[in-house]
Amino acid sequence: MSARYGMVIDLDRCTGCGSCMVACAAENNVPALPQATPRTGLTPILVRRVSNGRDGAERREGFIPIMCMHCEHDTPCVKVCPQQAVEVDKATGIVMQMPQRCLGCRYCMTACPYHARYFNWWDPAWPTGMEESLNPGVAVRMRGVVEKCNMCHARLHAAKEKAAAAGKREIDPVDYIPACVEACPTGAIHFGNLADTNDPVCKEARSPDAFRLLARLGTEPKLYYKSKEAWVRALAESSAPASEVQHG
Amino acid sequence: MKVTRRDLLVWSAGAAAGLMVTPVPWKILDDVSIWSQNWPWIPQPARGPVETKQSFCTLCPNGCGLKVRMAAGWPVGVAGMKTHPVTGGALCPLGFGAHQLNWHPQRLRNVQHRGQTSSWNNALAAFAKACSQGPVVVIDGFPGRAASQVLRGFADKRGGSYRVIANAETRVLAPYEAWSDVPASALGYDLENAQTIVSFGAPMLDGWGTPGRFARMWAERIAGMNDPALRLIQIESGLSRTAARAWKWIPVREGTESALASGLARVLLEQKLVPAHGPIPAATISEVAAQTGVTAEAISDLARSLVTQEPVLAIASDYDPAVAALNVVLGAVGARGGIVRRSQKAEAYLPAGAEIPNARAVLIDSSVPWTFAPQTEAEIFRFAAWDGGLLKADWLLPAPGFLEELTDVPTPPTAAVETYAVAPALTKSAADVRSAAQFLAALDAGVTSSEKVIHARCAELFHAHAGTLHAQQSIPLQKIVSVEKLEEQLWAGAVWVGEPLRSAGLHCELTKWPATARSAPRESWASVWTAPVLPPLASKLYIESNLREAPPRRNV
Repeated sequence: MSARYGMVIDLDRCTGCGSCMVACAAENNVPALPQATPRTGLTPILVRRVSNGRDGAERREGFIPIMCMHCEHDTPCVKVCPQQAVEVDKATGIVMQMPQRCLGCRYCMTACPYHARYFNWWDPAWPTGMEESLNPGVAVRMRGVVEKCNMCHARLHAAKEKAAAAGKREIDPVDYIPACVEACPTGAIHFGNLADTNDPVCKEARSPDAFRLLARLGTEPKLYYKSKEAWVRALAESSAPASEVQHG
Repeated sequence: MKVTRRDLLVWSAGAAAGLMVTPVPWKILDDVSIWSQNWPWIPQPARGPVETKQSFCTLCPNGCGLKVRMAAGWPVGVAGMKTHPVTGGALCPLGFGAHQLNWHPQRLRNVQHRGQTSSWNNALAAFAKACSQGPVVVIDGFPGRAASQVLRGFADKRGGSYRVIANAETRVLAPYEAWSDVPASALGYDLENAQTIVSFGAPMLDGWGTPGRFARMWAERIAGMNDPALRLIQIESGLSRTAARAWKWIPVREGTESALASGLARVLLEQKLVPAHGPIPAATISEVAAQTGVTAEAISDLARSLVTQEPVLAIASDYDPAVAALNVVLGAVGARGGIVRRSQKAEAYLPAGAEIPNARAVLIDSSVPWTFAPQTEAEIFRFAAWDGGLLKADWLLPAPGFLEELTDVPTPPTAAVETYAVAPALTKSAADVRSAAQFLAALDAGVTSSEKVIHARCAELFHAHAGTLHAQQSIPLQKIVSVEKLEEQLWAGAVWVGEPLRSAGLHCELTKWPATARSAPRESWASVWTAPVLPPLASKLYIESNLREAPPRRNV
């Protein structure tokens, strides 16, 4: 049976620490780019700080981690890619980016309504010797290609290999946990199979507090958010992070 | 046969059409795309056997449990240790990139004497000469380690002085030491049993104490609830990350958090909201209101709301006797959910000030924050794994980096119970490094090595037969059959957790209300980080995004 991997992020638990961002970069061999800016950097998961727009003691702030939403229906990046470098994996529902096919035209970046794709402007480089600290499970991408979250696909491969070695067809869910989920100190990011009605994540995604960003576009994202605060839920239909706060 | 122009065109067109139905052009296109991913200048990850090991982070005194993925003998990934009884798998954001620190361009790789490359022999000779000419002062950043015992032993033996740089969480506990004679190093915060936490500017959700301990507890008991099981009240001038997520944020004028603590105590005592008796703060409520910008009604309401969900614990951002006195009024000292005594045998430390007079040599351990700049005429021998850029010592001595040295992890400064763990060296060093303890052992054969001290501590732990060992399963220490078995478990990443002492032997009584201090804000979100550099991937947080500001006074 094919899976539909997705996440539910409890925004009431997110403290904006940024552990998910660093863990993601370390897992996926994303280089540190001192010459980059918030506009040109590579952050497959990006935590944004948002507010309710009020001042003084009435002001409330929160954090929203933004990454590829892994849209299920009419996936915008898939539709525009001239190279077929993006596809929705039928077995997992993960929107896969294949850098080998990518021309770097950046149509997909324009098409993505969530600004969750990043262009690799520079050759990946690390200080002398630091290559020894790279994750051997993930290939380093060259400049000129688009990057994004692939739900730590290398970890899925490792889980499949482990299952195959044990003579099993299905992976054990505890063997496949993306780096950001593992890193979150408050347990705000939950990962699971949305197609499995017994999966706690599937149940959470159907809770009254759960919502998806820009659901009106009908792309059926597999990334859900959750909050009990009305002003946070109201951000779901905001087409631009207008209330974003610069620097925390 | 004569080849006409027409024949040539027909042949070319046929060849082109034929080629397209062969796999050749598609294979070449595919190969080119793959080759172009593998230019020689594109770094390749190391290949080799991959294994996972357990250890502990030693970059700050909190000693978080690590799950380290190793490839070809090098650490290639760090995650939190899920079985750790305190952190539960959490790390600070900097910890996730710590495995790259050993390759940082500012890694100190050789001995330097006033900016010139020197040798270990020269450093040893210079230190021996300085020690023979006068007293030596040894400064430690993470007290309680086996290495600390070595440093202290050397200072005592040479008639010198052993001093400690206390971090903010330990400085917060200093007033209780003055009022009870129990050393601050024996005290901790019983956060797990508190029902209300009033933070006076302490970054509870942004780097306070052991990462994950409070954050996890907060997330389980408060998040998204209007009437949470744990009320986090943040009193702070600005909307910090903690204030943004707190149950209630009380904005005050900058630096007046301490004054508000005195005001709250006055309301509690005058309106007899607490059973405590004692000196009443001098400032009236209207004076406190004028000073803090919080109305007198709001101060009274806040004081009353504090006692509706007890136990209540007040936590200051730094040394603040007024906030400590508020805890005494609230009955939070020596009580469940308050400031508790966690150890019967912890030693008191002499805090290190910036001025160090009457010394001939000052030895600074690598655990001391780089920002500590001693003012002294003495010759300074400073151990550091990374060069902070500005010359702050006569001798800069390269120390082991991340996971390059066997060390032990004593109880973190904020813990409510004693813990003990051992962080084995998982990787070899890329430079010729020595720790301060190894340096002293090389100088004086009578100095016990850190390794021997760790073995002795394990034996002591075993013979005490108390506490629990947390690994994949929790095992009462009485079930461990030998010291060797205990060491085997500790070296594999187990954590010993002692029995809670509860309120044993901690009682504070105020004779007069302490003066309120102007509260100083924390330096930055990375203030507990002692190294002068940050992991390169921290750039994701403040260069490649708008999430945080770059930490000040750091070479990043």
